[in-house]
Amino acid sequence: MEPDKLVFVVDDDAPLRDSLADLLRSIGLRVETLASAREFLQCERPEVPSCLVLDVRLKGLSGLDLQKHLLEADIEIPIIFITGHGDIPMAVQAMKAGAVEFLRKPFRDQDLLDAVQQALERDRKTREQRAELSAVRARFDSLTPREREVMQLVAAGLLNKQVAAELGTSEASVKVHRQHVMEKLGADSLAELVRMADKLGLSASK
Amino acid sequence: MIYRYGVPAVSTLIAFLVTVWLDLSVFPTPLFFAAIVASTWYGGALSGLLATVLATLTLDFYFIPATQPMVKAALNLLQFSFPALLTLWFVKKRREAESSLRASRDKLEVKVQERTSELWLEIAEREKAEATVRQTQAQLAHANRVMTMGELATSIAHEVNQPLASVVTSASACLRWLDAQKLDEARRSASRAMEEGHRASAIIGRIRALTKKVPPQKDWIDTNETINDVMALARSEIQRNGVALETELSEHVPLILADRVQLQQVILNLVMNAIEAMSGLGKGPRELLIRSGTDESKHVAISVQDSGPGIDPENLDHLFEAFYTTKPHGLGMGLAISRSIIEAHGGRLWASANTPRGAVFQFVLPGGSEKLPDGTGQTGIRR
Repeated sequence: MEPDKLVFVVDDDAPLRDSLADLLRSIGLRVETLASAREFLQCERPEVPSCLVLDVRLKGLSGLDLQKHLLEADIEIPIIFITGHGDIPMAVQAMKAGAVEFLRKPFRDQDLLDAVQQALERDRKTREQRAELSAVRARFDSLTPREREVMQLVAAGLLNKQVAAELGTSEASVKVHRQHVMEKLGADSLAELVRMADKLGLSASK
Repeated sequence: MIYRYGVPAVSTLIAFLVTVWLDLSVFPTPLFFAAIVASTWYGGALSGLLATVLATLTLDFYFIPATQPMVKAALNLLQFSFPALLTLWFVKKRREAESSLRASRDKLEVKVQERTSELWLEIAEREKAEATVRQTQAQLAHANRVMTMGELATSIAHEVNQPLASVVTSASACLRWLDAQKLDEARRSASRAMEEGHRASAIIGRIRALTKKVPPQKDWIDTNETINDVMALARSEIQRNGVALETELSEHVPLILADRVQLQQVILNLVMNAIEAMSGLGKGPRELLIRSGTDESKHVAISVQDSGPGIDPENLDHLFEAFYTTKPHGLGMGLAISRSIIEAHGGRLWASANTPRGAVFQFVLPGGSEKLPDGTGQTGIRR
């Protein structure tokens, strides 16, 4: 059992839903089964790496509708589509909107399991990046206005002397500010500082 | 020619000879009259005139005494010839009337004969045409069934793939549980795979029954069961179009003697029509209600009711005509065939307006005396 990962299975056909859950549980995954898109939107989604195994044809809101809805609502979860009679335009639409995989029923179990693992991995990375970004942002928020200015200019590739000229201050005080920035952000090198600035989107707002 | 001149000559001669032989010299004219009538009748006006001249001459020559004064003799002849001419004229008219009557009668007879033979031909042709129509109708019925199947094929593929996917998935889950030595879980997966295999085979069985081209086979069948069979096939089509299905199946429906496949075809046709009618709706509820029950005369009554745009009263009369359709790609055979099937079973199929909107198609079939041992009817709402 991997309780830190969760797979949602949404299919309106109860026996198939149960089989899918059974297969996923047999390799130790935690599974939540739901009969409709609405149920999925209403259910509680814990903050763990998760993915969605979704039937294209559903009662009410279809699988593709749900995908669109999630994108619009900015809910990020990797989707693996399964379908009884998928046509190519449908698959293209789903993949373009970011689906991990588009599987035709009946599919090979390994294909589904691989897709699920890939989706979970993708979600784990997304969550990691998101966490990292929010950590950097929190640290960036602790900088003083002058320190932010210094950071922006340093990250843009200016020398201390140039930064001092730009801000109308002494090279020594720039050195001090720069030292503080490095400490507060926990950056070990200039290269790392530049990467962080990139993540925060500072280079664009120069 | 000979006839025309011969008749007056001979008849006048006979009249003369007989008159002489009987010595009728006191009143000699009657036989000559007879000769004139006969000549006119058989030879026409000209013969009559010739006979009159001959008779007058004969009378003058043989029967009017030479001693008579000239004027008296002339009056005597005039007394004969004037009525003779009058008689001639009447006889001629009569003769003409008679012959024209005979001519038109003959014409009529010919016409009657011609018409009779024409009628025989027409009857033969009509019989041939009827046979062709029957054959074509049977072919179209099959084509229609196949076409409806085509429309349903997508939906059926989904229907069959569903349990198949379940079988495959359950079986592979079973293998994995076995690898992990989890026997209870493995057993559960295996039995689900089995159940789902049966589900797939049941669906295929229903499809095969629907596509078979077989002569009507009448059995005692349960109408509710037939409705449920059809609903299982139309289920995903109903879902795909977002139609809310409601069934009100009476528990006390007598069995009917009918061809199961044909009856399924009629119900499927009505249901597909209803779905199609409602699929064009932008807004408003899409409700399909299927009822079974009995009418006052204990006939089995089945109705398919939708909330679509309904039927234009102008079209109501033509609905069941062959090749009449309001659909862009329709053949116009569905309802015509459905009606002929129901009528072949001794029933009636008709349409009416639903309130507040939509249409109701219903049919009645004579029910048997046999009742179902226990009610298999059910009422429920499925979406």
